[in-house]
Amino acid sequence: MIWAVIRPESAQRVIKALDITGIGGITCLHVTGHGKEMGITLGAVHYTEIPKEMLMIVVPDNDVAKTVTIIRKEAKTGSKNTPGEGTIGDGKIFVTYVEDTFAIRTAGKAGGT
Amino acid sequence: MKLIIAILREDRVEDTKEVLETLGIKGVTFLYVTGRGQQKGRVTAWELGESLNRNMRMQLVGARPGEELPNVGSGVAGSPLHRDTEFAFGFLPKRMIIMVASDKEVNLIVQAILNANQTGQHGDGRIFICPMIGAIRIRTGEQADKALS
Repeated sequence: MIWAVIRPESAQRVIKALDITGIGGITCLHVTGHGKEMGITLGAVHYTEIPKEMLMIVVPDNDVAKTVTIIRKEAKTGSKNTPGEGTIGDGKIFVTYVEDTFAIRTAGKAGGT
Repeated sequence: MKLIIAILREDRVEDTKEVLETLGIKGVTFLYVTGRGQQKGRVTAWELGESLNRNMRMQLVGARPGEELPNVGSGVAGSPLHRDTEFAFGFLPKRMIIMVASDKEVNLIVQAILNANQTGQHGDGRIFICPMIGAIRIRTGEQADKALS
């Protein structure tokens, strides 16, 4: 199970790229949060809740590395000075285990971790 | 302890709540999410006819106001909206429910969710079970299974 917290702007790009590779099931959550920078200060206002898109993807073990690579590649933003180096706030990817998966329609155990 | 994540149809959530309540499962978190599965967000004309109002259907088939709307779900072969005609929507609105349960409750909960959500159509959803290594009740600081009950 892969949880990716990414910029809402890059979500479409990531999804398209995953689509091409044939990764089918994706769930999107709109979330807000901040990282170690504790949000962002614009003028006099300090924002601690920055909108992000959270993608939940469950793939077989063999596909994890591939999926993570795609998300990294597509969610990374380039800046003027350092193209393709990424910028603060591009997000994080978390990978965790799934012990069991059930497809509700068939009540069957679907493969994959 | 296990973390149970289920992705369900929006209209089955009320039934699911009832079933979980009868089982005495109290702690559940509900989220509005969008998602797609193996079908990549495709729905058939029949499913659309069930869930969309007339205006939305007219827009989808590009019918002008006053024009007769093709009979959605009529099953007439060759009609532009045969019941198996598929529309690609990409991401469909879904509900995600999250709960943490002790190991012995997991089977019961999974069966309950399956029973309440099976329609036999694509898009019924998935249930994922993940290991959960800790739980703390914020009010009292109780840990593990005590924090769940």
